[in-house]
Amino acid sequence: MKRTALLASLALIPGFAAAQEDADLAALVKPQSEASAGIGGWSKDRPRLGTYDGMPTRGAYGLLDAFINRRDEASGTWMTLEARNLGLETRELRAEWARQGNLGAYLEYSRTPRDEPYTVRTAVQGIGTATQRVPATQPVPLGDVHLGTVRDAIGLGFAKIIGGGYDFRVSFKSEDKTGDRIWGRGGAAEFAAEPIDSNIKQLEAVLAYTSKAFQVQGGYYGSYYSNSIKLVDTALTNGANPYFLSQPLDNQAHQFFVNGGYNLSQATRATFKVAYTRATQEEPIPVGPGVPTFAGAPTNLNGQLDNTLLQAGLTSRVSNAFSWLANLRYYNSDEKTPQVRVVQTGVLPAPPCPTCVDNTPLKLTTTSAKLEGTYRLQQGLALTGGLDLVKQERRVPSGNPDPSGAFDAQRYVPWRTDVDETTLRLEVRRSLSETLNGRVLFAHSKRDGSDFTAGNEPQVDMINPIYIADRDRNRVKLMLDWTPVQALTLTFNLEQAMDDYGASSSRPYGLKDGAAGTYSIDAAYAVNDNWALNAWFTRDQAEATQLGQRNASGGSAEAVKEAKLEDAGTTFGAGVRGALMTKLKVGAELLYSKNVNRYPESLALTGAGTAYPSSAPAFAIGPLKDITNTLTRLKLNATYALRKNADIRVDYIHERWQSDDWSWMFADGSPFTYGTTTDGTQLVQPSTQSANFIGARFIYKFH
Amino acid sequence: MRALLAAACLALLAAGTAAAQDKDAPKDRVLTGDAKCTRCHDENDTYPVLAIGATKHGTRADGRTPTCTSCHGASDAHANKTGKGERPKPDVSFSRTSKTPMAARSETCLACHQSSSRMDWQMSAHHNQDVACSSCHVVHIARDPVRDKLAQSDTCFGCHKEQRVQVNRPVHHPVIEGKMACSSCHNVHGGNPKQLVKDTVNETCFTCHTEKRGPFVHNHPPVQEDCAICHQPHGTTIASLLKQRPPFLCQECHSHTSHPSQAGAIPSTRTTSTSLLGSVGRGCMNCHTNIHGSNSTQNSATSGRFRR
Repeated sequence: MKRTALLASLALIPGFAAAQEDADLAALVKPQSEASAGIGGWSKDRPRLGTYDGMPTRGAYGLLDAFINRRDEASGTWMTLEARNLGLETRELRAEWARQGNLGAYLEYSRTPRDEPYTVRTAVQGIGTATQRVPATQPVPLGDVHLGTVRDAIGLGFAKIIGGGYDFRVSFKSEDKTGDRIWGRGGAAEFAAEPIDSNIKQLEAVLAYTSKAFQVQGGYYGSYYSNSIKLVDTALTNGANPYFLSQPLDNQAHQFFVNGGYNLSQATRATFKVAYTRATQEEPIPVGPGVPTFAGAPTNLNGQLDNTLLQAGLTSRVSNAFSWLANLRYYNSDEKTPQVRVVQTGVLPAPPCPTCVDNTPLKLTTTSAKLEGTYRLQQGLALTGGLDLVKQERRVPSGNPDPSGAFDAQRYVPWRTDVDETTLRLEVRRSLSETLNGRVLFAHSKRDGSDFTAGNEPQVDMINPIYIADRDRNRVKLMLDWTPVQALTLTFNLEQAMDDYGASSSRPYGLKDGAAGTYSIDAAYAVNDNWALNAWFTRDQAEATQLGQRNASGGSAEAVKEAKLEDAGTTFGAGVRGALMTKLKVGAELLYSKNVNRYPESLALTGAGTAYPSSAPAFAIGPLKDITNTLTRLKLNATYALRKNADIRVDYIHERWQSDDWSWMFADGSPFTYGTTTDGTQLVQPSTQSANFIGARFIYKFH
Repeated sequence: MRALLAAACLALLAAGTAAAQDKDAPKDRVLTGDAKCTRCHDENDTYPVLAIGATKHGTRADGRTPTCTSCHGASDAHANKTGKGERPKPDVSFSRTSKTPMAARSETCLACHQSSSRMDWQMSAHHNQDVACSSCHVVHIARDPVRDKLAQSDTCFGCHKEQRVQVNRPVHHPVIEGKMACSSCHNVHGGNPKQLVKDTVNETCFTCHTEKRGPFVHNHPPVQEDCAICHQPHGTTIASLLKQRPPFLCQECHSHTSHPSQAGAIPSTRTTSTSLLGSVGRGCMNCHTNIHGSNSTQNSATSGRFRR
């Protein structure tokens, strides 16, 4: 009691109170560090939801994180060490030293695993190597194989402010990627696992000049890919059916660039960018033993791809009411790889050669322009009008053209050299009141182009390829932001796009039309200084009508197909955070997501036969069934302050994912099995994955 | 003993009184010249500002470090308000309800931060949609959430609702796991068509997926043009982030005779018939396995069809 009274009287003394205040201030303005350690565990395997988080299987995991942040006040020198997930395979570490306003450097490491959610039941031999053998007969005992990849990246960088407005920075990153992923033997629909052992290096060096009016930087960016595996040798265990599968070969790209901006006046700014990139692939092309090659086929592609970017922009705020911008962009991607014959079987016929294959170096030039003006009227009303133009020009890489130029014998998709798209946009933004803001956008785009170059057969030429097809697109966007009371904010969003593709009687196939929409409502409510709530709901839907011709096969009749493809999602989220008492803070998050994919396809039979291939022993069952994915995830956390600089945090997560995805199933729901006479590899995953996590950690905070 | 304590208290009181007299003029607390503001805005104020001292903006040893009025303007009317009536806002303020135009808010930041990846800010879609720096960044706290890889997407999803849904689909890039951030692919301050960190979609994808760059002996033209023709990078329900399931995806461009024309269907049992295998497993890619490009020179038509 005496001690309390004494402290109370001390607090009344101005000098003592000031000293205490200074100590509080120092604690507030000094960078804080934090380290935590704990343990957590999942109750069950969770291969789908644990694909990337380093915790795909049941068991205990270490929870180790640290953020150490120091600043020397006299010199302004920062030393930062950030460690994340040290107890998991997703571990990251970054150390940084910087004398603010002068120079700095960092070193970092990161591991990113990707664990394949499907378990492979297989007898394929040599998985993980470049020589794989598929048992030619069955039955053979199948074993479970878990595929996955790991990226290990090391990065370092240095930056220096040279003075006089100049600064220099350089960064380097080297990433190894190893592991295996689902693949195929190519020559037949049989399982193989692609072995991955590659490295990507990236180097960037930039010299920049900055003044109040003018900023410019130039530099070099290089990326270098190297692959330890050049060719994968696959065959049956008895040596039959050897297929040698090519791999990406070493390649590199060197880019030089300059970009900048200049304030012509306080209201007008000009920007530009020039970049030139040369990418090459010059590694000898491996060929498997005994694999036939055409006499003139390249042993080295001498691949070269030159990309050129020229970009300039101008923007001006003419008055408080009116501003505009204009942008012009030219991007030329020009593959200069020599065109050579790669495949030619038999005696060369008179052109065109339908069985010949040449490589097809592509040149694609995209020129785009944007003009936009915004007029701000009184009372918070703003009108924006925009015009976007995109013009694509392709060099048709005909391998085996018909002498008349009517078609290309080695082309399997019709082709057009020119594609142009024009978009007109109109947007209205309005402050309807102090608490209500709205925005409406309407955009109309029209895409068309030059005549198509026909492919190698009439049916090929009956489609509008999606990425170069004629298309009319209308897009509407509405947004309303309402704060009815200071503590409550509501946001409404509506986006809808409608596409109409240029189907015609002579070119009826491909996408006919499509629509996509997203509707969303968000609410955030601050109950008081201690408690806050939020919730959101989103409905999204995409639909497309796709036409095509099905040829008779396996007892099925020739038919015209019409698929009404649909992807519909409903997602709901909610969260709460608050303090149950001064020392106890709690939080909760809920996410529910349901996504349904539908594939109804009608077949108008135009010949004799069944709707789907019906020949024994295997027949086809269609149309494809819907696929529904459902995810529920609940996260709870509580943090109790043991003392001013130490907390205990407890986390609980419940998650449940359910799917009836039939991708790796036969029509009756049993596992799809590769081949008829080979080992019978299957890929399986539990259709319901539900697991609980509980973890606790001690958190220590310090300066 | 009590007498000694009393004497000590008196001495401290006397010293404190002298100190209090020195404090009549408010003193800077964090930044040079901040007394004008911090005399009111201390840690107990409705608008606490002192935590800025723990940030880069609070490093006084760096001669470039601003003070309150560097960003908020002189704000004399706000600071010197006396008497009744509502206090005028600072000359430049950044709150949600601020009257300061968005462009003017950003200009405050750009006075120092216009260089590097922000050179094209005034040409960017964000700027032209009335997004200001302060719409996303919080500068008065030690760790700005939008600069944290794990927390960043929450800020982006405040507007980008469609992407918020997509990243929670079963197939996605590791954004919600904190291994990537939106800014791993997007330069949100930039002026290129999709605000990407590199000049095109493909150049951006190649920073991690360099094996797809080629050039290949056998190129697949849409792969060379734009990865996003086939892939939805934010998340889908289909393996490999495909926008549509095979065979429908492939049939958006391909209208061949024979097996490529098959309707979507599932086989009843084991088969090697290619006309039954376009929907199941990897679909068309069961055989066309090197779909991004092939380096095979095997003298076989199949090598040109990405099967070797």
